[in-house]
Formats: sequence, C-alpha cells, structure tokens
Amino acid sequence: MYGYNGKALFVDLTSQAVRWEDLSDHVLQRFIGGTGLGTYLLYTHCPTGIDPFDPANPLIFVGSPLVGSRLTTSSKFAVLTKSPLTGCIGDSLSSSFLATELKKAGCDALIITGRSPSPCLLSIRDGAVEFLDATPYWGLSTIATEHAVKTALGRHTRVACIGPAGEHLVRYASITNDGGRQAARTGPGAVMGSKNLKAMAVRGTQTVPVYDAEALDVIGRDLTQRSLGPATEKYRTLGTMANVAVFNRLGTLPTRNFQQSTFEATDQVSGETFHQQHFVKNAHCANCTIGCEKILVTMDRGPKAQGRMEYESAFALGSLVGVSDANTVLRASTLCDELGMDTISAGGTMAWAMECFERGLLTRRDTDGIELRFGSDDALLACLRLIGERRGIGDLLAEGSYRAAQRLGQGSAAWAMHVKGLEMPGYEPRSLKTMALGLAVSTRGACHNRSSAYEADFSARVDRLKAEVERGRITMEGEDFSAVLDSLIWCKFLRKAFADLYAESAAIYEHITGYPMTADELRQAGERINNLKKCFNIREGWQRADDTLPPRVLTEMLPTGIVQGIGLSQADLDMMIQGYYAARGWTPEGLIPETKLRELGVVELVC
Amino acid sequence: MASYHDVPVTIRVELFGRAQLACGRRDVILDVVRNARLVDVLTALAQACPALVGVAIQEDRASLYESYTLNLNGLRFVTQECLHVQAGDTLLLFSSQAGG
Repeated sequence: MYGYNGKALFVDLTSQAVRWEDLSDHVLQRFIGGTGLGTYLLYTHCPTGIDPFDPANPLIFVGSPLVGSRLTTSSKFAVLTKSPLTGCIGDSLSSSFLATELKKAGCDALIITGRSPSPCLLSIRDGAVEFLDATPYWGLSTIATEHAVKTALGRHTRVACIGPAGEHLVRYASITNDGGRQAARTGPGAVMGSKNLKAMAVRGTQTVPVYDAEALDVIGRDLTQRSLGPATEKYRTLGTMANVAVFNRLGTLPTRNFQQSTFEATDQVSGETFHQQHFVKNAHCANCTIGCEKILVTMDRGPKAQGRMEYESAFALGSLVGVSDANTVLRASTLCDELGMDTISAGGTMAWAMECFERGLLTRRDTDGIELRFGSDDALLACLRLIGERRGIGDLLAEGSYRAAQRLGQGSAAWAMHVKGLEMPGYEPRSLKTMALGLAVSTRGACHNRSSAYEADFSARVDRLKAEVERGRITMEGEDFSAVLDSLIWCKFLRKAFADLYAESAAIYEHITGYPMTADELRQAGERINNLKKCFNIREGWQRADDTLPPRVLTEMLPTGIVQGIGLSQADLDMMIQGYYAARGWTPEGLIPETKLRELGVVELVC
Repeated sequence: MASYHDVPVTIRVELFGRAQLACGRRDVILDVVRNARLVDVLTALAQACPALVGVAIQEDRASLYESYTLNLNGLRFVTQECLHVQAGDTLLLFSSQAGG
C-alpha cells in the first residue's frame, strides 16, 4: 500500500483494550483522509443520539495521504467527535509534527472511546500502546503539560494535550499540540477531558512509501516555489491579522457583540500596529514554506506574554469585546492557549456576557464583583481565568453563549451570537451576504473555514451587500472545495497557489497512493463528504430551523461606517438558503433525497 | 476645450498591510482625470509612492501584483479599465487574499 498505512487504531480507555482495523481501499479512495475519512469514521462509530460527554462518543484523530510526503503545508491532521457545543459534527484541524508522528507510528486514524478511571497519558510508540498515569500533569497548562511529557518521555515525542479548560469540560476547550497549535473549534478538548485523557504522546519510526516519488518530487518543488510567491504574500508578511484594518474599513469587523461592524480603536489593535510594535519572529508548521505564524510579545509593564496570534483571536478578544489595548488582546489570546480553549468562542461568550451586564441582566453579584463592561481589560482577563476553571461566573460562561443564554433567560438569547451553538467568527454577515449564507448552513455551526464563502464577497464576483439566490451555488462550491482541502489535507493558505486545485491534487493523490483519481472524482469526494456531514447532523436531530443566523443579524441594521443602514432580512436569508438546498439537490426542507445518496455512493451507509 | 471627463479630480488612496508599511504612510492624495484608467491611477500612485513598486505595483507601473486588489469607496472591487472616479472618491489598496 502506498500513501496510507491502511490501518486505524482503536483504543478504549475504560477497558484499556486496543485493536487495529484495516481501512479498505474503497473507503480510503472515497473519503481521502483528514476531515473526509474522519466524517466516515464518526458516522460509523458514534452511537446515534449519544451525549457528547458519554464515554462512547469517539474522539478521532485522522491523518492523510499527504502527511509525510514533504509537500509544503501537508503536515496536518483532523480531530472529529460529536461536539459538546453544538451536538452536531465537530471537526477541527491542527498541524505540524504530531501529524507526521501519528503516521510514522502506523496510524491513518486513531479512534479513542471510553473513560479512564483516573487521569491518563496515552503513549503510542510504533503502534505499541501504553496507558500511563497523568495525575502529575492534571491542572497544568497546555504548554507546561507538553513540556512535562516531553521531559518524561523524550524530547522527540510529539504531544497532544488539554489544559485546565478541557479538564473542566469547558464546552469550547481545545486540544493543543506542538507548542501551541490548537484543534479548537467545536470543543474537542472537552470530549478529551470527559475521557480523563490529559495527553497523548506519540513516537514512530515507520515510513510509508509513495507510489511515484520522482513525479511527486517534481510537483513538490514547483509547489514550494508557488508557495513563496504572490499567492501567499499576505500570510508571509502581516499574516491574517492584516484583516483587522481592512475589515473595519469595509464595515465587516464585528464589534461589541455584533452591535457595530466598525471599531473606533482599530488602529490600536490592527495587524499593522502589532507588526510594528509587538512582532518577534515568524514561525512555521512542520513542512511549511509559508510561515504564516506571527510570534508577538507584550510591550507594557504588565506580566509578559508571548505567543502566536491570528485574526480570529485578535477580533474575538479585541473589537468584539471592545478591548483596544494590544497588550491585553495578546495577553488574552495567550491565556486562552494556555488554558486550552477556542479564542473565538471564548470571546463570543464574553461579548454576550458583557452585553448582559450592560443591560443589567448580570450584576456584580453574579460576577464576583467584576465590572463586566465592554472594553474592560481586567474584566476580560479575569473572566477568561474563571472560565478555564469553571469558577464563579466562569461556570456559566464555560457553557458557551447558547447554553448560557438558555440558562439566564430574560431575552438574552436575542444577542447570543451563534449558529447551532458555535460562536460567530469575525465576519459581519449583514455586510457579507455570501458569508451570511455560509454561516447559516454550515454543518459545524458558525464557521468561516468550512465554506470560505467570504472569498466571493471580497471579490468582484458579487455585490457583497446584496442577497441573491445564486449565492447558494457559490457557497456549495466553496464547501466542496474546502472539504477536499481539509481531507487531503492542504493548508487553506495554499489554496491560491493552485491553478486548478482538483486537477493538480488528483495528480498528486495518484503519485502518492497509486490509486487512480480524476479531478471530477475528487470534486465529487468533496460533495460526498459534505453530504455525509449533513447526514450525521440529521441523524443527531438537525432541523430546518437550525440553518439560520442570530436574531440580531436578522432584525437590526448596521449603525456605522460605509455599511450604515444595511441589514439582512429573514426573507432574503431564506431565499439564499433555498438556493443552497436546490444547488445541493436537497429538498426544500433541507433533507437529502435517497437519489442523491445513491449518486454519491453512500446510500448503504446511511439508509 | 477639455471635456468633462478630462477634468482632473482629486482622489485618495488608502494603503493597508504591507503597502502601508512599505510606504510609511496610510494614504496618498492623487490628481487623476475622471475617466482615468487603472493604468493611469497606478502610474500616478507609483510616482507618489515609489516604495509600492515591487510590493503592490509591478515594475511596469501599469498593473498590480495578483496579491493586491483595489476597492472603490469600500463598496466595489475594481476590475474595469475605466474607473469612473469622482472627486472625493477613495480607493483602498489591500491584499487580495481574503479572510484567514
């Protein structure tokens, strides 16, 4: 076998049983790897209707055929589970050495079920599994945990772990690997914590041959050259934080819990400011030539914080909560990384709480004396610490904005900014209509990455302020494109380096695996994967009403900037959703007809 | 007698990201004719901000690198040769790599 190990490792933490199962050629070719293979495994191994914290909920790590190939940006893996935040499919991506190490240890996929009776460190060395005591690491931050495990098991060991947030079942807890990279969205770290699995240590020495190394080498060198060209220029210079000032100018920067889409203090927290005043160095994932990561450091007299930061963290812990001090934003982002929780959901839930406080629904009695107002640096940092350990008001906020609003009541659900329970990313849907649709119909909730629908809005292809039925097809194509990226797995920042993603990737897939693959087959694999994700959600209780946007988006006009007076009506959103269902070949109720399942070759799996 | 479209108008170009850092300024004022083509604007911009050449503007001073885009007044992405700019218009110059 080329490109794959052809094996999945199943680990039951309750019984400490371990078994290997073969992955068939048929499954591998149709679901590729990464998110695609993970979706297949989740669909087939997650009991229907299970609580996400039930021991039987599988926590799945999946590599891909590209991992280990030395192709640029290819060292990535996916984590899938039933999300404790959304109750839908939870899939997150992370990257770097852990991906290659899992493959060298003999796994294409690792499926963890059960619950250890005490804190556990799962050690996998070339396929040999040990269950070690993780009690000494319990309570440590993610960074400290990784350091301690490497000290104990060797510095070449690759570690994935949770921090205090995962231990305390914060519903948006992340899994951290390789010095601060996060699989964070949808809360896989909480599922890991529910299993008493503090960390996983992986070491491998095996190699997986590729089918045509010579041809792959030629393509790989060309791709490396393209990765250093204009297609990735933004990521190599200011990184994604360059978005802050541009989004503010375009009226798409969510501010104070989406009450505005411009932030008057943008200059203080823009990518340009961070670059000029806080930049330390660029950092790379394993096998990456782009180097998008910006390592930043605080520059005030407060406690020093140094770490990487992306646009989503800068927005969620900056404009969204009204914070205008760059040092505080960086400190908050680093704190989230150390506690092990998703910065977007943390910021989104904080923004909901700040609005509740300013409206008088939460008082200082509820917040242990914290003056929880927009723009308060101290309140932000204090509450993030409380969330990470579920202390005081943190216990409520650890539930995420959807559940916190359900619990608090008093109409606060009206400003809980989530879709399907997942907090909104940094794209104002009222001034980005294609993105609005992408957020509403995404299978993992309010996600910007699973459709990249914003691409159309930030181009001359569409009028971003106008809702049209055609956005359905655009969103569908973006989702299928993203599913292929996330299954092979390529980094999204490489996407513009391809003249034709499907044709070039199909050729690469053939060179690696020896399996024949055409551009059309790869495109259909993307469609198949997205349909199976939807099948999972339908099985778990998805309803048509779940494909929507928060009430604020559908009832309030944007009050500032060049988009002042722009809104999005329920009728316009419904019109775009119908366009999306029609483009997908689904019923007007958003259900998948058997003919479509048959066309995609998953009818036996689903029906 | 000059036609309406040949009358110079004053516009502003706002710079973002690496373009801003390379020039050390956030914006630049340009005088261009109403029926200015993209090449006219870029030539004027390159003259006012030489540091943009090789960063956002290609060496021919007539075209942008594919990694950059221009947006008119924050509302419309510029693709046509003729920009139809009006006095007081603002062009935004930023990365064409959307999102993150």
